[in-house]
Amino acid sequence: MPEQHIYGFIGPNGAGKTTLFSMIAGALQPSAGHIRSRGKDVTGQRPFSLVKSGIARTHQVVRPFRAMTVLENVQVASHFGRKNITRTAAARDYAMQVLARVGLDHRADALAANISLGDQKRLELARALATDPELLLCDEICGGLSPTETRTMLDLLRRIRQQGTTIMYVEHDVKAIMAVCDRVMVLNYGQKLAEGNPHEIQNDQSVIEAYLGKAGSQKKGRVA
Amino acid sequence: MSTAAFAPSPLEKRIRLLLPWLLLGVLAFLPTAGLTPNIIRLLFITFVWVTTSLGWNLLGGLAGQVSFGFAVFYGLGAYSAALLIDRGVNPYLSFLAAGLIPALASVFIGLPTFRLRGPYFAIATIGVSEATRVIMNNLAITGGASGFRIMEHRPFHQVDHYYTALGMAALAVAASFLIMHSKFGMGLRAIKQDEDAAADLGVNPYSYKLAIHAVAAAFTGIAGGVFARYAAFIYPQGVFAFQTSVYILLMPVIGGIGTVWGAVLGAVVFGIVEEQLVANFPQIHLLLYGALLILIILLEPDGLAGMLGKLFRRLRRSKRKNGNADSGSREADEVLRGAGRG
Repeated sequence: MPEQHIYGFIGPNGAGKTTLFSMIAGALQPSAGHIRSRGKDVTGQRPFSLVKSGIARTHQVVRPFRAMTVLENVQVASHFGRKNITRTAAARDYAMQVLARVGLDHRADALAANISLGDQKRLELARALATDPELLLCDEICGGLSPTETRTMLDLLRRIRQQGTTIMYVEHDVKAIMAVCDRVMVLNYGQKLAEGNPHEIQNDQSVIEAYLGKAGSQKKGRVA
Repeated sequence: MSTAAFAPSPLEKRIRLLLPWLLLGVLAFLPTAGLTPNIIRLLFITFVWVTTSLGWNLLGGLAGQVSFGFAVFYGLGAYSAALLIDRGVNPYLSFLAAGLIPALASVFIGLPTFRLRGPYFAIATIGVSEATRVIMNNLAITGGASGFRIMEHRPFHQVDHYYTALGMAALAVAASFLIMHSKFGMGLRAIKQDEDAAADLGVNPYSYKLAIHAVAAAFTGIAGGVFARYAAFIYPQGVFAFQTSVYILLMPVIGGIGTVWGAVLGAVVFGIVEEQLVANFPQIHLLLYGALLILIILLEPDGLAGMLGKLFRRLRRSKRKNGNADSGSREADEVLRGAGRG
């Protein structure tokens, strides 16, 4: 997998996108095979040690620390991520910078339970970013967002890539994937169906069949 | 939780910083004010409870791991100090051992039990606690059911004990503040909220829980040791009793779980109430504790400290209203009160 790319994963329901993510992020153990990061075998490592080797994830269903403020949420990641900041004041400063990057600094002192879903999605991203990852796993980060919110979120992902982070991106919304990804992989029933740049994928016969069935392919239907 | 909307004035901040020192000063001077030995005894016991309450609060309040097994640490601390002092070891060195031995035990207890979560962990700690009590009651070294009398070869000065306990409680308050406002404390707060999400941000929940368990056990063990030296007589059915575990848990819950002053307040109130309840209702005082616990958890989960905080905010709000203040901050007030309840 190339670095400093946004690498998209799509596929019908139950294709194994989230399972793949959970295995890379250490939440699930693969029943066979290995996961390598930069030539290093990271199979079966627990999530907290994967964070230290530069792999962070966001959750499809947001999991903020609800009784903590937005700033404190990100502060935890600044303390325990790769930055490993010990002093609380320094961790707060760094957390504030990350919040500014995702455009959430104006809500820093609000309780995480009290902000909107769109902001909670951004908080999810801010926390993962604050661990200073080399590889960022984004699971349905735009799910449930309005078209405008989706657009700002995608811009944000592009900016994160520009700053040197590789992103693996799972989304149901094929349009969002096509708009932002450098390369796309299509999964179906846990198997790789196709891989290529967004344009190639849109014209791939097997992909069209998986999404629309045989009849769809006869009508030369296009995905997205 | 957030106090940002209230941004206390510099003067208020200074008062808040000064108050604990003032309190410590007053308590340090009290014995010279000609208090009766009975009052000094009551204060001494309260300091012991303050320390156990703060210890439990670190594990239960900060890290969110509710344990019914703190009598194990209290009892081990009491017996460690008792056996050492009886053999002529310096009492303060003995208190050190009374902290270390329970901390060590906490690791052995934590290794299997922290694989469990929430109520399952709580139930497991009951089992460990009861098993320890039965074992201790049948060991020759503890004196078994007939108890253990400590022979300390030096004269008894009640004031010595008073200052030892006061120093211990003050250290426990300071250590609690340090832990809560550190990286360690942030990790524990995250674990309390969502263990898996905390792990995704780099916190190792298992080793962090083991670490705070050990700190809490040390607090509790030292308190047990200080109490044992004062009491000069301990027995397994007393210090290792399930009732002791419940007492230690009840105090921070009454006072306000998760906050330092809440745990202190709970211990003070409990110290006074317990004395009265045991004297007046010896048969049903445990029943009353149960009822109290249910009432607090139903009506005011933030305990007495939470109740006082609300009262304080309401007073301030009415003052602001009279002063024709902006409605914006009042709205913020409302939001925060709602959040506190949720």
